[in-house]
Amino acid sequence: MHRYILTRLFYAFISLVLLSITIFVLIRVTGDPVVLMADPGAKEEDLQALRIELGLDRTYVEQYIVFATKLTRGDFGKSFMYRIPVFELYLQRLPASVQLAVAAMAISVILGIPLGIVAAVRVNTWLDSFCNVFANLGLATPSFWLGIMLMLIFAVNLQWLPVQGSGTFKHIIMPAVALGLVFTAANMRLARSAMLEVLGSEYIKLARIKGLTENLVILKHAFKNAVIPVLTFACINFALILQGSVVVESIFAWPGIGRLLVEGISSRDFPVVQATVILGGVMIIIVNLLVDILYAYIDPRIRYGQ
Amino acid sequence: MSPTSQHTHTALTRRRLLQSTLGGLAGLVTWQGWPRRQVAMAQKTAASGQMTWAIHVTIAPTWFDPAETPGVITPYMFLYAMHDALVKPMPGNPMAPCLATSWSESQDGLTYDFELRQGVKFHNGDPFTAEDVQYSFERYKGGGAGDLKKRVQAVEIVNPHHVRFRLHEPWPDFLTYYATPATGAGWIVPKTYTEKVGSDKFKEQPIGLGPYRLVSHQAGIELVLEANPDYWRKVPYVKRLVFKSVPEATTRLAMLKKQEADVAYGLYGTLAEEVRRDASLKLEPVIPPGTLWFEFIDQYDPKSPWSDTRVRLAANYAINRQAINEAETLGYSVLSGGIVPRKFDYALALEPYPYDPKKAKELLKAAGHANGFDAGEVSGDSNFSWMMEAVANDLTAVGIRVKVRPMERAAAFAAHREKTIKNLAFHGSGAYGNTATRLGTFVYSKGAEAWIKDPEIDAWYEQQAVERDRTKRQDLLYKIQQKLYDEARFMSVWEHGFLCASGPRAAVSGLSLIPLFAYSGPYEDVQLKS
Repeated sequence: MHRYILTRLFYAFISLVLLSITIFVLIRVTGDPVVLMADPGAKEEDLQALRIELGLDRTYVEQYIVFATKLTRGDFGKSFMYRIPVFELYLQRLPASVQLAVAAMAISVILGIPLGIVAAVRVNTWLDSFCNVFANLGLATPSFWLGIMLMLIFAVNLQWLPVQGSGTFKHIIMPAVALGLVFTAANMRLARSAMLEVLGSEYIKLARIKGLTENLVILKHAFKNAVIPVLTFACINFALILQGSVVVESIFAWPGIGRLLVEGISSRDFPVVQATVILGGVMIIIVNLLVDILYAYIDPRIRYGQ
Repeated sequence: MSPTSQHTHTALTRRRLLQSTLGGLAGLVTWQGWPRRQVAMAQKTAASGQMTWAIHVTIAPTWFDPAETPGVITPYMFLYAMHDALVKPMPGNPMAPCLATSWSESQDGLTYDFELRQGVKFHNGDPFTAEDVQYSFERYKGGGAGDLKKRVQAVEIVNPHHVRFRLHEPWPDFLTYYATPATGAGWIVPKTYTEKVGSDKFKEQPIGLGPYRLVSHQAGIELVLEANPDYWRKVPYVKRLVFKSVPEATTRLAMLKKQEADVAYGLYGTLAEEVRRDASLKLEPVIPPGTLWFEFIDQYDPKSPWSDTRVRLAANYAINRQAINEAETLGYSVLSGGIVPRKFDYALALEPYPYDPKKAKELLKAAGHANGFDAGEVSGDSNFSWMMEAVANDLTAVGIRVKVRPMERAAAFAAHREKTIKNLAFHGSGAYGNTATRLGTFVYSKGAEAWIKDPEIDAWYEQQAVERDRTKRQDLLYKIQQKLYDEARFMSVWEHGFLCASGPRAAVSGLSLIPLFAYSGPYEDVQLKS
């Protein structure tokens, strides 16, 4: 088991190194950030002075060595735009993103999984059809459109909820719904298919033959087995939502990481983009690592490479 | 392994895993909490004198430090609140005495003397003196710093309330650079405090001489300021100012409608129409010094159709500026025939070429392009794709076939600067200054973003730069602008109407009070309805 964990950790480390090189190179392909920071009429010597100040006058290899060396100390550098350590900036924004991700995930799990189970249990009925239509709509509705519609209805017309910002329970409702709907639909579809597969298995037939009530068969025997892949999917989605709620955060002016990333890209703030991408990668790698380890713990075949 | 950890290890079941996961999620929610109390207090404050702005840009702390002001107007949105300048544009006066009560230029044009306001204190209680003026100038490294420092020989402290700028040679534009938002060099920071905390800390905790002082700043999200009751000009009307960075224009409008904001910046097209329809809101267009135009990149290439003045004139006659104006800025932009804002010193008011597609076709025919020609691409900042598309449609309608190529903003800036842009390029500038500074950047052949190559214009430009006789200088600058117009060297579009709006609580939004200033100001004049 220890050897297995060490191997996974080694792979995780390699992934992070590759990610850091990839994002380091890609963000620099976008061009010179000082063009955006300087006066439109600035002379070349002014631009060069700014490059020197930001360390952008060095070769890419030198810049990467400085970046990687600092990274080993947990130092992501200072934001070009905000002039504060990027890690500090990231930590300022992380709580809002976590709040939003938790709320969106809660909606997607609380709504999606029961709907999926109901659809599977009542397969090929009007209820199943309704759930399928809901899932298709959920997957097809763009979050920016849904967000604006929610804002117009519940904030502007009904005046029930605040338009933007964060800080109270009311603030989180619309962004969480706009973000959570697509995941609700995805969870519903996954729960439905997992449940259908389990309901067709031999041990469920056996449970029914034994004379257990249908509720007991579904809730105790079928549901517990069907929910594992759904929750695994939900955990990975959680890490993705943390990084990927760019559109919703922008619409609702939610002070999260997604918005920070957009700001970083639009202003060519290299340290901000590097940090958000790498830290996002770290989260996904950690979640995957935990899932791998748990699978290995649960299933010895994985542990022994069978 | 300890007994405890052994127990934990063996006790991990799927049920425990699920419980732990859900527990962890719940814990995160609890950890973050939803501090209702804070919001309740904010709402209470709002009722007793808080004014909120929904702004279109991300709030950057570099804008809190006058020393790093680039040559764009955005940082002044915050500098006008937290800091003050010796001289700055104020209502009714583009160069109003502020921290300097008076100033004078010597007969030989080599020295400028400023008498400083006495009894003024920084937010931390430090007295304002000539040392702060000298220090702020020396510390300045923003837009135009190179020109300023090259021309200013020394800043001398005559006494604590009198400072003298000594120039190497007469420079008619010294005050344009020092006393307007063309640069931030005349905005004052406290020497003692800034030296003590350093530049980075200063941006986090700026101390100034302005009507408002910093309460809190959430980087990129929100800035909260509180009135400075000791401000020399007057005690501000509104106790607390809140600036929220809201990237989506629709959200800014929604905030205005729900009274979560009192002023919103940047509402165009259908959103502006919605403001106009809503009786509780007030559309407040502002005309800052932002002109938009297209450049004929290939006009000095003899093989290019653009080298023919008739073709450039045809393009100018082909575009329906007013229709674009009505669609996007509801007619509030000011159509222009030049690239210099009309309110700039020495600007020649030039009417745009009228929309006349028939004449455009005749000119093309006369130039040997009866069937039109392929003009390549029209490219520029993708934020202005709507403008490029509208102009491309008009040009194509008369036979000048162009393809629109929107570019990411930074790439467009870089392409202009590095001279890699092709064919027809969209461009614009909102930099403060005067006619000479605008022409210096975009017309004088040594300008950072100039495409014009005209020795006669260069000679006139160099003459005016040292001409101290105002009339003679004006003649030279007028001649340059007229020549550019007659030869249709640019396809000017308009002075951009920046559409803003205020909500029902705002009595005085501060918009349009200061000449050419894009934002609310001066903040000590903004008022809420009682």
